[in-house]
Amino acid sequence: MELRHYETFYLLHPDLTDEERASISEQLQEIISKKNGKTVKIDPWPLQKLAYMVKKQTQGYYVVMEYGMPSESVSEITRKLQLNEGVMKFITIKLNDKFDPEALAKARNESAPPAETVEEALDPDQSVEKREKE
Amino acid sequence: MKNSINNHTRHHRRIYVRRKVCRFCADKSMAIDFKDHRTLSHFITERGKILPRRITGTCARHQRRLTAAIKQARIMALLPFTSGHIIKD
Repeated sequence: MELRHYETFYLLHPDLTDEERASISEQLQEIISKKNGKTVKIDPWPLQKLAYMVKKQTQGYYVVMEYGMPSESVSEITRKLQLNEGVMKFITIKLNDKFDPEALAKARNESAPPAETVEEALDPDQSVEKREKE
Repeated sequence: MKNSINNHTRHHRRIYVRRKVCRFCADKSMAIDFKDHRTLSHFITERGKILPRRITGTCARHQRRLTAAIKQARIMALLPFTSGHIIKD
């Protein structure tokens, strides 16, 4: 079965504990590995303010997950996220029709400096400063 | 008659504005990503509307991608659909 490169981005309830959030991530990874897929990136963001209220909450935890998976199995990830009460919103996007983990790792190593800027962008304190300057 | 033509050309010259360059074409390393709401927020109005190409100077190809990314960001509550729903402190 051919793997495709997907990205799932989901929003978690702000009242969840660290363990609960980790377990959701683990459950998703389990599905991926069970379907012969491969996870390449998991990036949990710190607690962030939302642009509008979601389920009466003003903030939440975002998580980015990049993986390769056969296209038929993506619906299982969707199902898992839909059933979980702690997941407020999610979106899955196809990044590429082909999935090549080696090429991805190479590209990531070459673009090491941009990775730093991503971290910077995620730092909530810095963002406030930047906005004030603007 | 001659005078009016001169006036016209002068007027034309005056309203000429510097041609805007697509920011994504100018800087190839600048990717359009729906998760990067800080970059996307430059391309929406105060009310949360998507700015037209004629104002930002974005090229057609990148405007299409930008529009899709802004809409995805709105779905994920990274950007507002409208300023009326923005959470006040």
